[in-house]
Amino acid sequence: MSLALAVVLAVGVVVLVALPFLREPAVVDDRLDAPSAEEEGHLTLLDERDRALAALKELEFDHRTGKIRDEDYRALVGPQRQAAAVALRALERYGDAMETPELPPEPAPPPDEGTPPTPAPVPEPYPPPDEITIPSPTPQE
Amino acid sequence: MADLGRAALVVSLGLCVYALVAGAAAARTNRRRLADSARNALFAAFGSTAIAAVVLAVALVRHDFSFAYVAAHTNRTLPTAYALSAFWGGQEGSLLLWLLVLTGYGALAVLINRRLLRDLTVWVVPVLAGIGTFFAFMLVVISSPFDTQTAPLDGAGLTPSLQNPYMVAHPPMLYLGYVGLSIPFAFAAGALLSGRTDERWLVATRRWTLAAWTFLGFGQLLGAHWAYVEVGWGGYYAWDPVENAALMPWLAATAFLHSVMIQERKGMLKVWNMVLVALAFELSIFGTFLTRSGVVNSIHSFAKSPIGSWFLAFVVISTLFSVALILYRLPLLKARTRLESAFSREAAFLYNNLLLVALCLTVLWGVLFPIVTELVKGETRTIGRPYYDFFLRAFGLPLLLLMGIGPLIAWRKASIRSVVRTLAWPIAFTLVCGAALLAAGAGSSRPGLIAYTFSAFVLATIALELVRGTRAVGSVFTLISRNRRRYGGYIVHAAIVLLAIGIAGSSAYGSSTERRLTPGQSMSIGGYTLTLRDVQQTQVPNATETRAVLDVTGRWNGTVSSGDNEYINPNEPSREIGLKTDWLRGEDLYVIADSANPTTKVAHVKVLVKPLVNLIWISGIVFLLGAAVAMWPDAREQRRLVTRLAPARA
Repeated sequence: MSLALAVVLAVGVVVLVALPFLREPAVVDDRLDAPSAEEEGHLTLLDERDRALAALKELEFDHRTGKIRDEDYRALVGPQRQAAAVALRALERYGDAMETPELPPEPAPPPDEGTPPTPAPVPEPYPPPDEITIPSPTPQE
Repeated sequence: MADLGRAALVVSLGLCVYALVAGAAAARTNRRRLADSARNALFAAFGSTAIAAVVLAVALVRHDFSFAYVAAHTNRTLPTAYALSAFWGGQEGSLLLWLLVLTGYGALAVLINRRLLRDLTVWVVPVLAGIGTFFAFMLVVISSPFDTQTAPLDGAGLTPSLQNPYMVAHPPMLYLGYVGLSIPFAFAAGALLSGRTDERWLVATRRWTLAAWTFLGFGQLLGAHWAYVEVGWGGYYAWDPVENAALMPWLAATAFLHSVMIQERKGMLKVWNMVLVALAFELSIFGTFLTRSGVVNSIHSFAKSPIGSWFLAFVVISTLFSVALILYRLPLLKARTRLESAFSREAAFLYNNLLLVALCLTVLWGVLFPIVTELVKGETRTIGRPYYDFFLRAFGLPLLLLMGIGPLIAWRKASIRSVVRTLAWPIAFTLVCGAALLAAGAGSSRPGLIAYTFSAFVLATIALELVRGTRAVGSVFTLISRNRRRYGGYIVHAAIVLLAIGIAGSSAYGSSTERRLTPGQSMSIGGYTLTLRDVQQTQVPNATETRAVLDVTGRWNGTVSSGDNEYINPNEPSREIGLKTDWLRGEDLYVIADSANPTTKVAHVKVLVKPLVNLIWISGIVFLLGAAVAMWPDAREQRRLVTRLAPARA
């Protein structure tokens, strides 16, 4: 009984392991479908864009929760927005950045120290660029 | 059926070797069908190991003493739950559990990520198979659970101290944690081998790391509770080498979980993270080596065996492999950005990392010290509790403080003014608490007072974070659901605070007394008076139970019993403690009766009052809750990942 079960097990695993070759005995292209250099570059840019937008949103949340003072926020938000804009521009050639939510406007100067300005938040949910329907690029005439 | 178990393990070994060789060849030569075949071999290895595990489990439940392992660890009177727990009660079963969990975890991790990170998982398969090969080899060649013999009439039975519900759950929890650390290690090695050292491997393994860390942390708490109620020395953590063996990878994994956030956001600490993930994995293997080799004296070293040298060799080889791989890929691991300020969230994470790793290495040195002195001086010298307690205070208290400061500091950089303004309320609250604690007499222990006040500070900062965050987004539910990882982390921080309060309360403010009592004599401690009523002896099916019965009056009125059980099979004694828990105070009255004599009616009684000790066990529940919140799947993030990584399939 044990021997029979062991034989069944051995045959079963051999079939499972050989399955990719049994399914496709002869293939034209047996290479792994890893991303091309261009796709890799695209993915890296998408990562950079997400990171920049996440950092911007984090900065805005820290400001809203009082961890960053107004003057610090104003000093930090500019370079951060610029980094996000650079990442978005770099993606334009892939057509990904077209539907990206608008960046929050620059915060207005505080009327007084006691009432910090509340800048418009980065649109929620953050950042959903991948979920946005990206329009197909217009065919070039 | 032992033949089937043996055959299944041989098949598992063959499959792991094939997955290792074919997987590496496929990844190196970029061959798709061979990579798929190697991946299938890993899946099949899980299937065949599961068959071996079922064979052993059935043999344990059926008391099939023709299996030498079953005869050595169970007997006929053992209830089914404990008979099943004997699966991990011995060395061979533990190794089988390791392989089962490893192949199961590995198959699932590869299955989930097979399309998302194909060029990376193709390297993960041979790494996991390499680890699997080692364990399958041990099971087939060195230490098989399927050795057979002429069945004796009864088995030797399970060590009495292991016949405890906590021991049913504690070892598998630890194994789920130990083995779980193989997954982030395999993905890290895969990232290095494939040259894809960006943050995607971190995202793919985030929940695996969290799950392993949770199992390891909760498993240790279960073990601590087992030691508290079963071993009967009055404590819950003795800095035993095997306890430390579980603590060390947990500390390394804790550091990794924090520093990984800096890499994800800033692209920094890439080398550090690789080192941490390798350290956590190597320490998990080293922990198994410590438990099973018997190289260091420990109450947990149930069996001294020849497998120690094999484990040591595996630790050395895998460490060399990790170091070589990191050095080889060093150019790819350069940071994209630099730390902008010493006053920033990322800097706080860095300090936290340094403290955690320092504590981890300190504990490692304490564990290795007897081995080193044995090798160098030819005599074994051990490091005692004061060493560990000193470094726990030296590194643990600043860690506790950082746990409060870190979340209140902004990313990138924060001005001192904003930090002071943010911390004003928590500091004020802490000062008030400190003054109240002093007034209540907590100043009798300086470390205890510091631990309590730091704990108050951390709780205040968590509360402040929740209040301010809720104000900003509208509701606490929205706040948590938008960033489960962060707020799950805060709940875990709250659990660590409860743990710190419990440890400080029970160790710094606990009291104990001991006395030889005869019937009618009393002893008093902490508002309790205990009077020996009688020493009784009763015979139960597998043991002789001796109990000193004490009447308690004062802060609680009732009866507690303590003594020992003399088991017949196996012929071993077991200490049985008396325990009364006051849940309102979180306090325990803990009674140990030694040498209770039913003839002379004399008992040597030790009584301990342990304030707030129960917060330690409650912290386990809070810890699980926080981990669950942090791990809860985020549909939005999943969609984003799938869309993001879809080009890899194209």
